[in-house]
Amino acid sequence: MSTTTTDRLRDTELSYRATLAGGALSVFLLIALLGLAFPGSIWGNFLTILTSRSTLSSALRLSVPITFAALGGIFSEKAGVVNIGLEGLLIISAFTAVITTAVVGPEMTVLGLPAIWIGFFAGILSSVLFSALFAVVCIRFKADQIIAGLAVWLIALGLAPFAATVYYGGVNTDNLGTTLGTWTIPVLSDIPFFGAFFDADPAVYMMLVAVPASWYVLNRTAFGRHVRASGENPKALDTVGVDVSRVRYAGVLLSGFLAGIGGSALSLGLGQFVGNNQTMVNGKGFIAIVAYLFGNYNPIGAFGASFLFAGLEAAQIRLQQVPGYAIPDSLIQTIPYVTVLVILALVGRTRIPEAAGEHYDTGDDNR
Amino acid sequence: MSAVENAKAVLRRLTAASATERILISFAALVMAVLVGAVIILVSGRITTCQTAATTLFGTGFCYDPVEVYLVLFNGALGEPFLLNDPALFNPNWNPLNFGFALTLKETTLLIFTGLSVAVSFRAGLFNIGTQGQLVLGGLATALFSFFVAPLLPSGLVGGLILIPLAIVVGALVGGLYGAIPGALKAYADANEVITTIMLNFIAAQIAFVLVSEFFGNPDSQVVETTPIPDWATLLPVAFPQGGDFSILALAFGLALVVAVWFLLEQTSFGYDLRTSGEQPEAAEYGGVDAKRTTVTSMFLSGALGGMGGAIWVLMVMGKWQAGVPALGFDGITVSILAGNNPFGVVPAALLFGTLKSGSLAVQFGTGVPKQLVGVLRGLIILFVAMPEFFRMLGSTIDLEPDRETVATDGGRLGGDDE
Repeated sequence: MSTTTTDRLRDTELSYRATLAGGALSVFLLIALLGLAFPGSIWGNFLTILTSRSTLSSALRLSVPITFAALGGIFSEKAGVVNIGLEGLLIISAFTAVITTAVVGPEMTVLGLPAIWIGFFAGILSSVLFSALFAVVCIRFKADQIIAGLAVWLIALGLAPFAATVYYGGVNTDNLGTTLGTWTIPVLSDIPFFGAFFDADPAVYMMLVAVPASWYVLNRTAFGRHVRASGENPKALDTVGVDVSRVRYAGVLLSGFLAGIGGSALSLGLGQFVGNNQTMVNGKGFIAIVAYLFGNYNPIGAFGASFLFAGLEAAQIRLQQVPGYAIPDSLIQTIPYVTVLVILALVGRTRIPEAAGEHYDTGDDNR
Repeated sequence: MSAVENAKAVLRRLTAASATERILISFAALVMAVLVGAVIILVSGRITTCQTAATTLFGTGFCYDPVEVYLVLFNGALGEPFLLNDPALFNPNWNPLNFGFALTLKETTLLIFTGLSVAVSFRAGLFNIGTQGQLVLGGLATALFSFFVAPLLPSGLVGGLILIPLAIVVGALVGGLYGAIPGALKAYADANEVITTIMLNFIAAQIAFVLVSEFFGNPDSQVVETTPIPDWATLLPVAFPQGGDFSILALAFGLALVVAVWFLLEQTSFGYDLRTSGEQPEAAEYGGVDAKRTTVTSMFLSGALGGMGGAIWVLMVMGKWQAGVPALGFDGITVSILAGNNPFGVVPAALLFGTLKSGSLAVQFGTGVPKQLVGVLRGLIILFVAMPEFFRMLGSTIDLEPDRETVATDGGRLGGDDE
């Protein structure tokens, strides 16, 4: 019986992936065809933009925070804790990274480490601490995960502008005057289109490592097996003698760690934290949730979805510069959200881990 | 038949047992949030710089004094009834119909609508995070409707009497339809409403922005906003001062809605279906409730209340729609959670939150503590309400376990959590 269930799951997953991949490919082919047939039209311009190196470069940069938050969300939710506080983790790490760099002094180096990297790690640390709070609230105190996740988001949304106002007198921080910069790999960066991969923000390299690494950890290691079991069938995991709570804590802390990289990279890539309205994070944490749902909890799929959303945004920014096509950018920014709604409505619900969102009681008194 | 009876019994037990406990939890959460907030105020007082320390604890000076902050907040929200640094204490010039109090009641009124919106969905077992989006589009519909229909009506009181109710209905309809979308997606495509409502919030904000900036904007304005609707078609302040943007009529309407929603939830068969599908979905299905239809209807209702909140924001506060709508929908989540999703509980919770929001301005001017503090408190309150287990453990370690039988004397399910 269990084999048939697994088979069926694998089948639906395969058909789901085939649908998505087929859809994306046919849209791209259509654009390419139209673009080649009518070089002067909007499609021609669109094709030029899509195949330009700078679009690829900015798409990679824009996908960093979304991808890292999505990877984090996968670990947490696979372990059985739905983390809708990712947005909050991005906000808090983005802010902490900048303020720490500013306090240390942007030009200083401590123990051979430039201040901006100290800020980077401080951002990660703040996100991990925040996710630890969330983990304790959800796992030990059995809070509703959705409500606790909302709380994490709202606390960060209030705390970062609050602290910025205390320190700088306004919700935005001052510009550091320095950024993470780019790391250029000689020779390889000269490759025409794909050279963008080798002339990028350091966080882009981290992302290109983190995606396959996450896939490997999740699918090929004992820890990954425990994480998946903790979200699917915690009882079975408990029976074989693995502490479910511990696995879940690890999953949530890992989500804090990964989201922290995304948040730090976001603000330090710009050299400033912007705290107006929804802050500079502006829904990227929620898009990340969408990205991993879209990618069916697979790190590579999640990266694909993040890259797709970021690519749309990058193409849209470039399209604004082409005269004659003044499409309101607000409208184009809705594309990821609308896509998600359509996908959720048509392809149906992606299969959420069986026990995600539920508390697990070992039965013995665990105080 | 027996399934219905069973479900009823479970429901009765659940609500009876949880009412007192929820009030205690809300109150405890509030106290904890205020305490943690005090720590944050102290810590931020160490970050900032000042000439003289506002308070000294354990030999260390702090720039902000939490006690003073909370006093200023409360005092400011009521329009300075107390003279904090004066032996006379009471302010002889205090008039209850003041600007600060009007501000508090304005926030309270708006939060009653959004709090009710969230409460209705939560009672139906649906997480409507989308009240904000429903409010944004409902408000825009109200502003556009009023603007286009106003020239067809006689100006003045008669026109207002016709136009204002219609405009609110239009706002409610648009908000309701927008709320029905995630409802239908949930019912017929099994799409998680937490995700879809969050998505729809972003979509609503962007759509409204595009509609106003491209088509319906005020040509004489640099800001993305609609042309103002005539004064006679807005809710004017009656007894309260002009700038407070508060109309007692709107508050009365909000309170009437509270009773109406309570009646609908507790006294009608629709309300019964809604609550059972929220608390005991299997039993509800077994008892013959059409779960899909209930989901869509509840989300429509929730969205309509959010849309009305937007309508009141336009008609009472702005007199037009303007980009950058305040996060009233998200505050509604806090209000509803604090109120234990009870319509009557929404009133004190909204008043509390209205006080916090309007008092935050006084805090910023009076003590220099940024008004964003209230945003932090909002998150903290939700965090603590989310973990009743925390208070149970705390209670059992200090041997103050709230005993349901013995504390049932404090006024049942009404109020009690308003401090």
